[in-house]
Amino acid sequence: MIVVRAVKTTDLDAVVALAQETGPGLTTFKPDPDALAARIARSKRTMEGQAAPHEAGYFFVMEDTATNDVAGVCGIETQVGLEQPFYNYRVSTVVHASQELGVWTRMSLLNISHDLTGYAEVCSLFLSPRYRAHGVGGLLSRSRFMFIAQFRDRFPERLCAELRGHFDADGTSPFWRAVGSHFYQIDFNAADYLSAHGRKSFLAELMPRYPVYADLLPEDARQVIGLTHRDTAPARKMLEAEGLRYQGHVDIFDAGPVLECHIDDLRTVRESVVVPVVIGEVDSVDPLASGAGPAQAPRERAPRSLVANTRLADFRVGFAPGGVEDGVMHLSADDAAALLVREGDPVRVLVTSHTQQSQKS
Amino acid sequence: MLFVRPARLSDLDALEQMARAARPVLHSLPHDRHALEARIALSEDSFRAEVDFPGEEFYLFVLEDATSGKMLGTSSIVAAAGYAEPFYVFRNDALIHASRELHVNRKIHALTMSHELTGKSRLAGFYLDPAVTGDASAHLLSRARMMYVAANRRRFTPEVFSLLLGVTDEAGTSPFWEAVGRKFFARDFAEVEKISGGRSRTFIAEVMPSYPLYVPLLPEAAQRVLGEPNAKSLLAYDIHLEEGFEPDRFVDIFDAGPVLTAQVDRSACVVSNETRIVRERTEAASDADPSSATAATTYLVANNRAGEFRCALAELPLAREEQAPLTSSVRAVLGAVAGDAVRCVPLHRASEDEAATAESQADLDGETAALRATHPGVRR
Repeated sequence: MIVVRAVKTTDLDAVVALAQETGPGLTTFKPDPDALAARIARSKRTMEGQAAPHEAGYFFVMEDTATNDVAGVCGIETQVGLEQPFYNYRVSTVVHASQELGVWTRMSLLNISHDLTGYAEVCSLFLSPRYRAHGVGGLLSRSRFMFIAQFRDRFPERLCAELRGHFDADGTSPFWRAVGSHFYQIDFNAADYLSAHGRKSFLAELMPRYPVYADLLPEDARQVIGLTHRDTAPARKMLEAEGLRYQGHVDIFDAGPVLECHIDDLRTVRESVVVPVVIGEVDSVDPLASGAGPAQAPRERAPRSLVANTRLADFRVGFAPGGVEDGVMHLSADDAAALLVREGDPVRVLVTSHTQQSQKS
Repeated sequence: MLFVRPARLSDLDALEQMARAARPVLHSLPHDRHALEARIALSEDSFRAEVDFPGEEFYLFVLEDATSGKMLGTSSIVAAAGYAEPFYVFRNDALIHASRELHVNRKIHALTMSHELTGKSRLAGFYLDPAVTGDASAHLLSRARMMYVAANRRRFTPEVFSLLLGVTDEAGTSPFWEAVGRKFFARDFAEVEKISGGRSRTFIAEVMPSYPLYVPLLPEAAQRVLGEPNAKSLLAYDIHLEEGFEPDRFVDIFDAGPVLTAQVDRSACVVSNETRIVRERTEAASDADPSSATAATTYLVANNRAGEFRCALAELPLAREEQAPLTSSVRAVLGAVAGDAVRCVPLHRASEDEAATAESQADLDGETAALRATHPGVRR
């Protein structure tokens, strides 16, 4: 079974090895053993309640329990912007109107904002290219919502996710070309790297101090404000299915959208339930076996569920066939073992239809 | 012999023709005959009035050909621009964006709507008949205003400014307007230019940007024309520089044309002024001996005898002690008689005059070009 679980100190080598698969470009997950060790230690402190509010954050790995292969990572920051400011542009509306002239124009203004300060953030998702065909991207991403649902008290009122913005075929961001490059005077990757590694003082020194009229920017830059990178579109769809929405905040470098929502409105928080486990034979092959009526179309796949244990430091979540029936969740012995649960233990279950899974991300 | 004098009501026909011929329209010269008549009357009153500080006065000048009696051009001074309403320009601010950690340091220009020039005296309404050839006439018509300002300091502010036409293409489209103004107004430049009548209407506050515009973020075409004079205004631009005006601090809010400012104290008409006494000189002497022993150069000569301002060009000896030997035709247009004190300002700066030969004009062109090249690019 492929599970997502809380990271352990002993995962360091595997995580560093995984980071080597990122190649150039992705600046937030680099094979830097010191930085990754610090990240793992921070997650551990957070689990243990030893982390200060500004540094609290969780880090998870995806592992194939059959092979112990670590194939993905993801994270949650508990509250962003409490140490280094969390910068975004807020896209606001200004109307310029004159009755005398009969003029009425609506314009967009980009304002530097710290609006998302104190939000939780889902972040740092990376899935090995070796696993992208397996439909496990959804598991990796949604594992965090299962964790948040289970440990709701550990998180604030709202949540956000920053998505990479649009890049041209040549790998450059039109928004960066039109705006950031003039102010930051270093290349996009360098700026992104510094910012992702908490060295944000240059932002305050160099960023535009006045609002920027979006309508006055070149067409190609204007077009990409709030637009998602092609490769990130499936991730966006998935987050939107979870209930996150673009509400006018964009990244200051590439104008990629920030999706946000109230944590209590997350689909996983609203719809997942905690039930006891029953271990036994689970028929995952015949769709009609799980009590479905004859009206069900034959080509529809069997339901499957995200199933998580309810332990903190040993948190684990994976996909299992079936759903909650008669107030219990049936798990095969293998799956129960992979999730570290025994007969009668509580598990959190979110029924998902198989067809909803994104194929990649 | 051309000379500049205050406009009179009897010039109404000629001024009406010039107002209609001027492209683009001169906000200071209305097409409507009655409105134009009122402007001329205001100007006559202004010239006559005892003024202790600038107010609603308006000074209208005409360029007249003494031989034919024809009006060949006009120019004006608004004593206090935007007297009743704020006068808007973009102030060109330089913001330093520097990071010691990253070893970067950059000057970023931003255009901020400004009222700073409100109430300052403004040179305006320049129109020269296209049939007039030679730069000297344009110099005379333009700089006569500063000759008047220099002689009448109380009537004007210590700093004066002038707005020149910005760059437009053959179709009259302004790249800056397309990139900025159109986004706010959703109208054609020409249309708004017509109704806006002089950069001091309230709708400008309602419609134009309330936050600064970062210059590097504007489209290339708009950046390129920032503070650049229209081809039609190149000569006027050079004349202003010669007079001591500075470009770059402000640009027009609509077409980003240059808004030049000058401290009157430091303008050529004050700094290079030589008050000389008129002496009689025969026409024959000047014709017969153009390269007389004493080197001569062209001067702006202004007289204010009996309250009637006059300004003309005349060749005067460089040596001040020679005073101002003027031919009878020059004395006539200036209304000057021997013994009068007249203001004399070299048409071109001393450094060029020292070259004093045919090349002097070439040097001058070279210098103004250099001035423009160093003119710190609003666009960097």
